[in-house]
Amino acid sequence: MEPAAQAATIARAHQVSKRYPGVQALKDVDFEVDAGEVRALLGANGAGKSTLIRMLSGVEVPDEGWVELGGTRLTGSGVKEAGRLGVSTVYQELSVIPEMTVAENLYLGHWLRGRAGIDTRAQEALARRVLEEIGVTLDPGREVAGLTLAEQQIVEIARALHSDPKLLILDEPTSALASHEVDLVLEVVRRVAARGVGVIYVSHRMDEIRQIADTVTVMRDGRHVATTDVAGASTQTIVELMLGGKEQERVAYTRREYGEVRLSVRELALPPKLERVSFEVRAGEIVGLAGLLGAGRTELLQAIAGFRTAAGGRVEINGTPLRRANPLTAKRLGVGLTPEDRKREGVINELSIAENMVMSDYPRVSSYATLSPRRITEAATQLRDRLAIKIADVNHSIATLSGGNQQKAVIGRWLHAGSNVLLLDEPTRGVDVGSKAQIYDIMRALADDGAAVVFVSSELEELPLVCDRVLVLRSGRLAEEFVAPDITTTALLAAAMTTSTEEN
Amino acid sequence: MSDTAAPQLGSWLRQRWSRTVSSGTGLNVIGLIGAIILLYVVLGSTATGFTSAANQMGLLRDAAMIGVAATGMTLVIVAGEIDVSIGPAVAFSTVIFAKAMTQLHLPTVLAILVTLACGAAWGGLVGVLRAKVGVPSFIGTLGLWNILGGLALFTTDALPVPVPIDDPLIDLMSSQIAGMPTPAWVMLIAFVLFGFIAIRTKYGRSVYAVGGNSRAARLASINVDRVRVLIFVTTGILSALSGVLLTARLGSGNGGAAGGLEFSVIAAVVVGGTAMTGGRGSLLGTFLGVIFITLLGNGLVLLGVNSFLQQVVSGAIIVIAVLLNVLLSRRRGISTTD
Repeated sequence: MEPAAQAATIARAHQVSKRYPGVQALKDVDFEVDAGEVRALLGANGAGKSTLIRMLSGVEVPDEGWVELGGTRLTGSGVKEAGRLGVSTVYQELSVIPEMTVAENLYLGHWLRGRAGIDTRAQEALARRVLEEIGVTLDPGREVAGLTLAEQQIVEIARALHSDPKLLILDEPTSALASHEVDLVLEVVRRVAARGVGVIYVSHRMDEIRQIADTVTVMRDGRHVATTDVAGASTQTIVELMLGGKEQERVAYTRREYGEVRLSVRELALPPKLERVSFEVRAGEIVGLAGLLGAGRTELLQAIAGFRTAAGGRVEINGTPLRRANPLTAKRLGVGLTPEDRKREGVINELSIAENMVMSDYPRVSSYATLSPRRITEAATQLRDRLAIKIADVNHSIATLSGGNQQKAVIGRWLHAGSNVLLLDEPTRGVDVGSKAQIYDIMRALADDGAAVVFVSSELEELPLVCDRVLVLRSGRLAEEFVAPDITTTALLAAAMTTSTEEN
Repeated sequence: MSDTAAPQLGSWLRQRWSRTVSSGTGLNVIGLIGAIILLYVVLGSTATGFTSAANQMGLLRDAAMIGVAATGMTLVIVAGEIDVSIGPAVAFSTVIFAKAMTQLHLPTVLAILVTLACGAAWGGLVGVLRAKVGVPSFIGTLGLWNILGGLALFTTDALPVPVPIDDPLIDLMSSQIAGMPTPAWVMLIAFVLFGFIAIRTKYGRSVYAVGGNSRAARLASINVDRVRVLIFVTTGILSALSGVLLTARLGSGNGGAAGGLEFSVIAAVVVGGTAMTGGRGSLLGTFLGVIFITLLGNGLVLLGVNSFLQQVVSGAIIVIAVLLNVLLSRRRGISTTD
């Protein structure tokens, strides 16, 4: 290696390994970032990106190997040590305080004190200068709540620059943004790198990566697979590196006859995320929705279920148009939505398993407007048997169930309501392998019983296992469609990540 | 048949018992019953006149004053909300009822209905503000506390508005039915009714679902807004009903009546094991909470405790009761995870 490059290295991981109970998160990873370089970090879910970031930022200590920042080895005394050596991290979730001004957020906890308390004017002047340095004109006196998501993300990045870092780690900084908002963030990243800061940029959007990164490091199964020039690698090559050419065998695909159209979406627009999305799902069909984080999958499901008002287009459920966004009407027409965040939006911990299931339709277990405990237990027990929920007594608290069984109960809620258009948003997230397989089986059984199933998953490799068709959302529209048996994880990932310029 | 029925009953009871004991509210219920028995024994043997029929009747009347509103308040708190307007709402209701009778010369039944309708209206207003506009219920009902309290005094110049006590309905409400004061009957009916609503109706279970996790409830197609409006309509009506009963008891409408009642009501609900964070609570617990608080107040008076000190003692005991409650549910939390 040339000595000049050696001197410019600001962060290095050497033969780093990390084990968590039951999983080897990192194995013998070597990784280097130079000053002023923008390095893209890529990998599928569970490839070890997050673990590597946690090592570099001092959150966790490697089991083997070591991390060196600016020539000094981390001793494992935590985030503060890494911070002192010049590492600053911006995590995926926004952590700005909406009620405070831009300047207050920039100096959160380190507010500028003058003679008489906090000197707002000096603080804002300073904030303005800091923002101008990264090429942003933003009024520091404005409340953050009034900013666009992209501007909030920039405030977040500017705050990370406060400690004058040598290495800036950005974990999917654009995943919440619509594609046209991204440029603002990219410009800031470019300016930061021009000041000599090394940037690690985690993202799956190839067009962004091509615009700002020089080199890309691909990880898979906790290992470093390759580090190459971005310019010299096609999206296809990178996808193959990410997946390692492994394809899961589809379990004996059988072509099916589908019934009538249960769900029809025409030219649906949900700005800024989606513009003119159209598709149909028939009885007996399982349709997967793929796309990168922030592609608008959840928003699309919420609009179909009546929780979100579309700016244009129409939704028809079992032949009847949903005229106004109204969850009760959508439910009556047959729509059931299981939310992506099971803990916060799915289960009600205070209630029993049975009550969590029958709450979608109380009249069905009532007579003369009076709930019948016997009928509740019967209905819930039937659902338990149908969904193979492992519990003896359905009147136990739902909090006693495992994640997979809780998810089945939430699906059961919509079976109780008699829904035949099932929208499952990340139903396998945080669920063990055995339960995942059971949830696939349940989806297939429901489709065979005449339901139309829409399946959203961030784990692209599970879509080919169950779906009859997969639609890929990209840049606000349905970019591509794959039909079984010709659905492969590689093709899906490539379609989701592709740049518009690569299309032909 | 009797040979099989007996063991069946036994196992049913055992199952009930274990379910009761294993739930936090169950332990709370047992604890409260114990505390109430203890209070009865202690006061019965030390406080002169405690066991007298007159005092027991008075106890029931006092309990009804708190209890009627506490039924609705239980649902409000289970839904994760709060209503601090009870006292002035009751006071203003006595005024509305008395004026409707004596100044508008409405028949008694109609005067009662008008009063209840007013209660429903201001409750509904707060509910709509909460559900549709997002005004926190504490703020909404605090505003109501001020407005109704002010109206009650303004419209009467703080003077009592007498009602004809020879009116048969008023006489009935201030006397007894089958040896028990009428307000106590109303309270009992309210508890049975709300106990039923809470456990056996769509609306009641929706209240628990909204209090447990309102986002999940909304996504499960429960009409969260309607629940939030209805709970305040309910406390409005119950406050008005308490006002009507109080008018009969006092023989007049009184703008300054029922001062501080809201705190006794909230304390009874919370002592009864309802979580201020929502999602948990029972009408049985609230009923025992009402009895407990009433006994405590009565006992302190009979024991001749200094009236200023009474407040200190009852305040401390309420906090201790809730503390025990929290500790119990925390222990339960640990036992379910292992």
